[in-house]
Amino acid sequence: MTKTDSPPPARLNDLIVLIAQSRDARAFELLFGHFAPRIKGYLIRLGTSGAVAEDLAQETMLAVWRKAALFDPARASASTWIFTVARNLRIDLLRRERRPDFDPNDPAFVPGQEPAADALMMRDDEDANLRIALTKLSPEQAEIVQMSFFADKPHSAIAAELGLPLGTVKSRLRLAMVRIRAALGTLP
Amino acid sequence: MTIRHHPGDEFLLAHASGAGSEAVSLIVGTHLALCPSCRGKVASMEQMGGALLAGIAPAEMSASALSSAMAKLDDIAADNPPQSSDPLPPVIAPEPLRSYIHGDIDRVRWIPIGPGVSYRPLLKRRDARVQLIRTAPGAGVGTHTHRGEELTLVLTGGFTDVTGSYRRGDLQTTTPEIVHRPVTDADGYCVTLAMTDAPLKFMSPIVGVLGKLFGF
Repeated sequence: MTKTDSPPPARLNDLIVLIAQSRDARAFELLFGHFAPRIKGYLIRLGTSGAVAEDLAQETMLAVWRKAALFDPARASASTWIFTVARNLRIDLLRRERRPDFDPNDPAFVPGQEPAADALMMRDDEDANLRIALTKLSPEQAEIVQMSFFADKPHSAIAAELGLPLGTVKSRLRLAMVRIRAALGTLP
Repeated sequence: MTIRHHPGDEFLLAHASGAGSEAVSLIVGTHLALCPSCRGKVASMEQMGGALLAGIAPAEMSASALSSAMAKLDDIAADNPPQSSDPLPPVIAPEPLRSYIHGDIDRVRWIPIGPGVSYRPLLKRRDARVQLIRTAPGAGVGTHTHRGEELTLVLTGGFTDVTGSYRRGDLQTTTPEIVHRPVTDADGYCVTLAMTDAPLKFMSPIVGVLGKLFGF
């Protein structure tokens, strides 16, 4: 595959919307070129073999094609949404487990504040701020965050692997989240 | 409804990152249905996942990967967003829990295990167990501590112990350091969803009512 310049984040969102609106195969091609190698890289970081990671990256992109109409750019960026699609497919296909989650259309669901009308504009700024905040975590906090996403084990096992008390892992995580949420402007 | 007791960040992150087990996601996902504030945290964590995905070193796909994906596109039917339907009657058990019960709380076939206490196992995976527990007003389950962590989500009614008072939507996390004796509030039956990753440890052999829940 030839290397192309990565489209800017807003353009990535538009590509998913184009797929939802008009089944645009060219948009899929651009999205695949950007995300498939990253999904494969993410799965390899999680310990998946190259061949399985490749298959799962492809399945994720096909799921993006199928689910494009469910993508809401006011709620999540393209990267965030595609991360959740890859995460769920990995649990479903590799771990063969369910990932039970809430249903916003459920009668017992307690609604919160809906995203504001200007959320769409802010979302890309937020992603940029978040990336900066991640680079500014202390090495100890960054290690816990990275392992939370890439070690595929509970925090008790992460603590054991690092030779730390679970309470230390939890407090590093809590401090990391305070900094992340401050960068996102979501602290109460 | 004001929720005052929430899961720790490590459980929310386990759910958001995909590292959490089905048992953890069942109880966290059910809490999220009732708790907009934790949903906001999980959304931030998923955003972290998106940022990590965006920043990861790409692994090159094989030469034929794109063309073989493109060849399948025409055969894939698009999913449509769910249509808003007529409002449904109120229920006590939110999704995702209701799918595991196959109905609301009134459909549960309770197994009595002691005075005023009954339970229903829902899920067992390796060491993790999830069950519903129903206690009568004033009933307790005996003083106990935990070998691992226990999460308890209140669905209806409430209970009180040394750490505080818990009502619908509140989630209590107990660790091996905590010895407690939860007692059901006087205003009705309390139904909780409980998850453990290791058996409980009772301080007295005669109050081992909950012991039966955990298979020893």
